[in-house]
Amino acid sequence: MLVKLTLNELYKILAKPRSYIGFLAITTIIMLIEFALYVDGKNYIGFIFQALEQTVIIQGEILNGSLVCFIILQTLIIQMPLLVALVTGDLISGEMASGTIRLLATRPVSRGQILWSKILAGGIYVFALLFWLGLLALGGGLLFFGTGDLTVLKTDELVILRESDVIWRFISAFGVAFISLLLVASFSLMLSCFTDNSIGPIIMAMSVIVLFTIIGTMEVPLFDKIKPFLFTTHMVIWRNLFDNPVPKEMVVKSIAVLLGHIGLFLSIAHYKFTKTDIQN
Amino acid sequence: MRNLLIVCFMILLLPAIGQSPSGLLQEVNVKFSTVKTYSAGLNLEFDIPGVKVDPIKGDVFYKAPKKFRIKTKGIIFLPKQNPYEAILLLSDSNSYVAVKMADETVSNVKTTVINVLPKKQADFIVGKFWIDPVNKLVLKSEITTQANGTLVTNYAYGAMAKNALPDKMELTFDVAKFKVPKAVAVDINSKTKAGDTKSKGTGNVKFTFTNYVVNKNIDDKVFTE
Repeated sequence: MLVKLTLNELYKILAKPRSYIGFLAITTIIMLIEFALYVDGKNYIGFIFQALEQTVIIQGEILNGSLVCFIILQTLIIQMPLLVALVTGDLISGEMASGTIRLLATRPVSRGQILWSKILAGGIYVFALLFWLGLLALGGGLLFFGTGDLTVLKTDELVILRESDVIWRFISAFGVAFISLLLVASFSLMLSCFTDNSIGPIIMAMSVIVLFTIIGTMEVPLFDKIKPFLFTTHMVIWRNLFDNPVPKEMVVKSIAVLLGHIGLFLSIAHYKFTKTDIQN
Repeated sequence: MRNLLIVCFMILLLPAIGQSPSGLLQEVNVKFSTVKTYSAGLNLEFDIPGVKVDPIKGDVFYKAPKKFRIKTKGIIFLPKQNPYEAILLLSDSNSYVAVKMADETVSNVKTTVINVLPKKQADFIVGKFWIDPVNKLVLKSEITTQANGTLVTNYAYGAMAKNALPDKMELTFDVAKFKVPKAVAVDINSKTKAGDTKSKGTGNVKFTFTNYVVNKNIDDKVFTE
């Protein structure tokens, strides 16, 4: 029954035009970045390395598919949660607003099953979005720019990862990004359980993510104490998978924090949704 | 009797001529000049400020007098100076003045320290060589150039010492401190490190050579492709 419900939810997601905004945005951004780097990538790389190249000869192809994929990932990672919230933020509230939730609740399934089918559908949507991102960023990058060592651009250092050491990191990074986006999906779904306004949870989820990201970016000592408690701090842990060596303890801790948040948000969503008196 | 005395005097004088700074440098150069070409396997290790990079294996090719090429399948960092800058400097004995400075011990070997100064305007300002006078090998060199700062090279020899080809070579050179703009790095969780204001650091690259093939023809394409 859960499978049927989930397929039904997926059909509803597919029927909404806004579900395609994410795919369209990702495709446009990636194509633009890849085109720009293909045309003018040498100058871009030259600008970054000009100080180092004054004293050192850098031999080998820095601009390759791995670097292009990394640049795309770090550019899109801020926008991706917003694209996810756009769809998952009204999975409940949208149906509350239109009144279809009552019809759904009359079927011989528990509310828990209804909620879980929406969570699973949201998860599948997130996976599809990330898969599309990976296909265009990594696949397109390797196709147009070729393979090679990955140069990880950090503010205070460069990390060069050998070609044989790169693919597993990208796969792991996509895995961690999936957990991060699942957190956004569950957060927006939780907010969605508290209102019958379709847009409210989407805006709320986006606002919280933007606010937390700004706090995380600002180098104010007061915020340093807050940062570890913000889920957005742990959402960018995928970057640390490109450190050498990988700070395993830090990555595991952040993944645990992300999973903890997902559990918390889904528990609240479950409690709220199963106890709500549906009146619309 | 007079002729015998002259011959004896010459015999006594010869070693002294051989051990003059210029003579010693020439003996080193003669030893290396027997190598017209060589290729070898290479392992490179890097220690460059602001750059974290794993060692890499590759191949190295040399063709006298100045062609030098390292081939690897990945990204490598090398000093701007040719790793054989020190040896190449010695090849033209008319271009420099050699002055013996002192005797020093390098890697438990007693060496003669010789300073080399250019006779005419040249890119190199001063060269300093620590030479093993017994085996006629450069154990350490320090070349200061106008364009690229100072390059210090330490050499360790093994089976190919007869051709003055080192088994290991460690290059130390000046590296400008650099930073990736935060807008480019998009490093959200990074913090600006306090007190990190040095504009220069010292980089280090270690070469380990294996499987030398000496004086076997090498196609010029190797150096251009």
